Amino acid sequence: MEISADIHLTRHPDFVLDVEMTVQPQGITALYGSSGSGKSTLLRLLAGLERGTRKDRIEITSGKTVWQSEQIFVPPERRGIGFVFQQQQLFPHLSVQGNLDFALSRQHTEQNLEVNQVYDWLNLHSLLDKEISQLSGGEAQRVAIARVLLNGAKCIFMDEPLGSIDSPSRSRILPYLDRLHRNLQIPMVYVSHSYEEITYLADHLFVLDNGKITSQGSMLELCSSIELNSGEGDAAAVVIQCTVAKHDLDYRLSELDFEGANIFVNAEQYQVGDSLRVRIPAKDVSITTTRPGNSSILNILEVQIVSFEENSGPSVLVRLRRNKQFVLARITKKSLNLLDLQPGQTVYAQIKSVALLMESIDD
Amino acid sequence: MTATACPGPGRTSEVIDPDLVSLTITLKLAAVTTFILFLIGTPLAWWLARTRHVAGFLVEPLVALPIVLPPTVLGFYLLILFSPNSGFGKAWASLTGSTLAFTFEGLVIGSVIYSLPFYVQPLQVAFSGVKQDLLDAAATLGAGPVDRFINIVAPVCRSGFVVAGTLAFAHTVGEFGIVLMIGGNISGETRVLSIALFDHVETLEYGRAHLMAAGLLVFSFTLLLIVYTLNRWQTGRSSSLGSGS
Repeated sequence: MEISADIHLTRHPDFVLDVEMTVQPQGITALYGSSGSGKSTLLRLLAGLERGTRKDRIEITSGKTVWQSEQIFVPPERRGIGFVFQQQQLFPHLSVQGNLDFALSRQHTEQNLEVNQVYDWLNLHSLLDKEISQLSGGEAQRVAIARVLLNGAKCIFMDEPLGSIDSPSRSRILPYLDRLHRNLQIPMVYVSHSYEEITYLADHLFVLDNGKITSQGSMLELCSSIELNSGEGDAAAVVIQCTVAKHDLDYRLSELDFEGANIFVNAEQYQVGDSLRVRIPAKDVSITTTRPGNSSILNILEVQIVSFEENSGPSVLVRLRRNKQFVLARITKKSLNLLDLQPGQTVYAQIKSVALLMESIDD
Repeated sequence: MTATACPGPGRTSEVIDPDLVSLTITLKLAAVTTFILFLIGTPLAWWLARTRHVAGFLVEPLVALPIVLPPTVLGFYLLILFSPNSGFGKAWASLTGSTLAFTFEGLVIGSVIYSLPFYVQPLQVAFSGVKQDLLDAAATLGAGPVDRFINIVAPVCRSGFVVAGTLAFAHTVGEFGIVLMIGGNISGETRVLSIALFDHVETLEYGRAHLMAAGLLVFSFTLLLIVYTLNRWQTGRSSSLGSGS
């Protein structure tokens, strides 16, 4: 299901949402931006939960079906979509099972998802008999996600689904979303202001600012852009996609394949062949012009310099490329000049710390 | 200001205790009124709770009017409306062959209008408490408007319905002025309990008056007790729901 939207909507005199976009029919498409950027409004328009006024121009199509145009408005219940809200919006007069049954009896499509499979994925078996008021925020959100899956949605919209959940539970629920991402063919549109969540999950990225799309493309490529990271200070980081090559049980290290190079990290909970994402903070990457020998640092990559951050601060971000993926390094301006680094030059990136993005789920 | 404004108190010899007849009429009137209010007051309350239309600002005070208006004013206008000279009265007469004034049907119409705010307002408050997001969630799960109302709104607002129905019922039972104006005091037809009580006092039958007054007092108190207990229970429940999500 490919959703296209051409939207020009005025809200109060000072906010205009002016967007033309196509949601990829596979994977997770993230709408990222600060609060007030219009990302939630855009998502609600796509879902039909808002429809603008007669003065707005809103055209939304799903494949060949027109969802909204000047003459047509398909209400949300007939769009075949699922929507996960920030506040879970579980029905308070029904139990967990009752909420799930509500979705099962109103399926959008003939679903071939196994009910038990969904319960397994989201670890719901022990929650089924509970009342909604007995659930923690994280549990409630898992139920809300299951409710959407069992409903047979053809596309799942998520509006800051972790926004109302405290951070320990948040890191516990992200792996569940990742698990869905790995197991489902259903496209998702995910709205968040958390860069971290986006880098965990997204495949495609739309960055919104003040009602306009400022950049779009593959998440892995965009997340390494200097523009997106230059305001982040020490939080500047890239995410790279690797594949588990083998486990070294003696040292409890796993060897990941990253664009033909090796990265060592503790990832024994994954299986060989699993693809996973690794986060590399720019401040933990240093550059040498010759391959360093006898270093305690294990992760050394041969890379090519792509570009530098242009600013007047004492440090600069350097964007480095290895085949199709990128790494960022934050080095001092003095080093930049001493080493006489130039775009196109081949250098070695020493990576001091590598963090796996996803913890595994303790079922 | 006495019951003599209407056809005189019928002292017909009846086998059944006339007070019991009055009780039956009162309960029947309250039940029919509450049922009609359920049918027309529910959509009205829903519309008032959800609309952003300008008309809402006009309709809302109109619905509340019977709370502040002397029942005699309402009764007077209804009496005019019921008269065979008015369009409505004429239409009714040609349809049913009788007039509305001094009939049970006339009382029902009066009671529905008179008790309307007591049904609509608590329900409107309950409906306003249903968050739009909850309905949006139901919509995205494939539930259309009627489905949403029956399966989400109604059960979530269950105690609102009980409160509204109870208040409308009790208020109809306690009605006096408007009955006097449009219903009169016809035994077996329009003489409700409050009118019968008035008659007993007029004729100095204090024993009967006491029985009836105390009965109405206990009845009203019990109903209000139910209403307020439900209110407290609902508030406690919704606050615990709020902290859970």
